[in-house]
Amino acid sequence: MPRTCRLHPFTVLALAAAATATTVAAGRWWLSVAVLLACLLLAAWARRARRLAGLAAAILAPAFGSQLLIHSMADTAGGHVLAAAGPLRITAEGLATAGALGLRTGVLVVAGLLCTLLVDRHDLVAAVDLSPAPPQLGYLLAATLLLLPALEQRQRAIGQAQLLRGATPGGGPRGWFRRVRLRSVPLVLGALQDAADRSAHLAARGFPAAGPHTRLREVPDSAAQRRVRRIALACIVLGPVAVLAPTWAGAA
Amino acid sequence: MSPNLILPETATGHPLRRRMLAAAGALLLAGTYTALVLTQPTGLVDGLGQAVALATFAAYLVAALLLLAAVLPELPVSTLTLIPVALALNIVLGQFVGSVMVPLYLDSLGTVLVGFLAGRRAGAATGVLGTLIWSLFNPTVLPFAAGAALVGFLAGTAARFGALRRPYLAPVAGLAAGVLVGVLSAPVAAFVFGGTSGVGTGALVAAFRSMGDSLLSAVTKQALISDPGDKAIVFLVAALLIYALPRRLSAGFAFVRRHNVLGSRGSK
Repeated sequence: MPRTCRLHPFTVLALAAAATATTVAAGRWWLSVAVLLACLLLAAWARRARRLAGLAAAILAPAFGSQLLIHSMADTAGGHVLAAAGPLRITAEGLATAGALGLRTGVLVVAGLLCTLLVDRHDLVAAVDLSPAPPQLGYLLAATLLLLPALEQRQRAIGQAQLLRGATPGGGPRGWFRRVRLRSVPLVLGALQDAADRSAHLAARGFPAAGPHTRLREVPDSAAQRRVRRIALACIVLGPVAVLAPTWAGAA
Repeated sequence: MSPNLILPETATGHPLRRRMLAAAGALLLAGTYTALVLTQPTGLVDGLGQAVALATFAAYLVAALLLLAAVLPELPVSTLTLIPVALALNIVLGQFVGSVMVPLYLDSLGTVLVGFLAGRRAGAATGVLGTLIWSLFNPTVLPFAAGAALVGFLAGTAARFGALRRPYLAPVAGLAAGVLVGVLSAPVAAFVFGGTSGVGTGALVAAFRSMGDSLLSAVTKQALISDPGDKAIVFLVAALLIYALPRRLSAGFAFVRRHNVLGSRGSK
């Protein structure tokens, strides 16, 4: 059973943003590795380490492959050539650049995914609803997160229904197009019809409601968390400035 | 579909404030893009490179959020109920198309549908919201929110000026939109991530770089190869889906009626 974090969702997001911004600004490999390890430890505490590793690998593997190709295989600036074949040159400087970019992307992806795994989605919706953001934003977030599994389920049901009625898409590009058409046309038309029905019901109830309203779900929050959020928000701006200022002063 | 049935329309916020927010977002986006293209910083991982990456990420994200804040309060209920459907369709159809090994994304289909049915403001809002929600599953898409907003904005603009009145006009509009979106998104890919998100597109960028192009120039050329084709197909598929809608559904959107989006098809 995964553990959930009893913090306000904005506290988790603000802390992750502050850590990511400061780490990216510092650009030190050991700091990036430390942040990645801390994220993995937190995920292990929440019993989601395997899920975090799988999700992060699915995003980072192609991105890092691209960075390796661009910076280490086609480097035109580096002087320490490790191998060369025609226009392709592998240099030590190119490999170092690809590694640094990979770590930068890794910190962003792992910290962001950890937030998604730690934050309860219902708490996030409630927090957005209680914040000064327009009331429409909370509805859109909640409706999308609820519609996603419903539409996925409906897409599978449509696929099974098409198979039962003997509609076989075949192979090649024509088969691919037929398969997309058989699935997407009923899915989109049905979803738009549902949206039109919902719109009349919401309009009849005066959506979006103006003024304060009671929410049955309480979001965990405290004065200490509010202070932490304010400090983290300041760190998002001041952290990178503090880290980068000596570099700029040295360059000037 | 219909305006509020029992209460008078009350748009929250002030029109002037919303216009200023939209102008600030557009200016920030244009200013950041111009600065990046004019200066073309060379270092990616030194002190200046880190600052450029953070500034580009922040500026593109803040610009998209300003545009969203300007547009969201004035959207009618019919559009608000359409947007979650579009966002879910972006993800569900994007995953389905990705699973059948065809090198297309089609992950902006819902955004384009909203732009066609509800106009450019709703399309832009859908693009930003779609990116924000998709970033819960893939945080690297976050700075591309402004590009997604531009897709929805251009879809609405194309529909307003008659791109859906003839089936062959929709992919042409998609091609043009793909060029603009590719050009706008290239600095994010180049300066924030130092490349692209896939090995195939990365190989293209590497090929351009080995021929002597700068990183921004190579990423822009790769985007100009990939994006127009994808957007042309997305615009065509979205147009065909809208042609398949029952008339009572498509005509329920004020934007479709006001600008005669479907031409003679809408009156059949």
